[in-house]
Amino acid sequence: MIGNDVVDLATAKNENNWRRKGYLEKLFTEEEIALIKTANNQDVMVWNLWSRKEAAYKIFNRDTGLRAFMPLQLVCTYVNELQGTVYCQGKTYYTKTVVKPDHIHTIAAVDTKILENIVFLKDRKLILKKEGVPYLVQPETTQTVPVSISHHGNYEYIITMS
Amino acid sequence: MDRITIIENLKNIITPFVGDKEALDNLTEQTDFIKDLNINSANLVDIILDVEDFFDIQIDNESMEKMLNIEATIAIVEEKLASK
Repeated sequence: MIGNDVVDLATAKNENNWRRKGYLEKLFTEEEIALIKTANNQDVMVWNLWSRKEAAYKIFNRDTGLRAFMPLQLVCTYVNELQGTVYCQGKTYYTKTVVKPDHIHTIAAVDTKILENIVFLKDRKLILKKEGVPYLVQPETTQTVPVSISHHGNYEYIITMS
Repeated sequence: MDRITIIENLKNIITPFVGDKEALDNLTEQTDFIKDLNINSANLVDIILDVEDFFDIQIDNESMEKMLNIEATIAIVEEKLASK
């Protein structure tokens, strides 16, 4: 299973005041807050960690069928700006992040092999939906493969597995 | 505080975070913050902090996990107000 999340940094700056009192404590663990406080670019660290949690939550939600606003149960292990894991209720999700000047994009997967075989789709042409969850049928193999769509501000990413 | 007053106050709290104001006119207890109102999940925290400030209550993490729609939010506000 896969998940992805994009943060448009300009949109986040306008709409999400993470410096508000009490805000970080609702979303991030003590260790994550320490990473944010010591980061060279605190905005980038906030949204980098947040995009990892969101991408991992999308997998958790699909696999368990549970919906909850549970950012503190999605615990990031920050290897570096581009790599890490997110731990949630006994499961570990692997993440790969790209930090661009104006947006941050994270892909999460249940193992590193899937993470290395992600395919980006340009449009939604082949995408079908079952109970709101996107997927596609590979033309060559007729296999059903999961799709993950993320959209924020001016950015949209659609990914699938090869 | 009665249920109608809680809903009216909740509506005022969430309004700034809803892009599609028409969706707010059709607000019911079943209205989902993310699915129906398209509220950004990073703004759910603002709603939770605003609810804490307005009703002068503390929302613990377990309660926060359930705050995805109006009905669940009313239940949490009622519970926390009752235990004050």
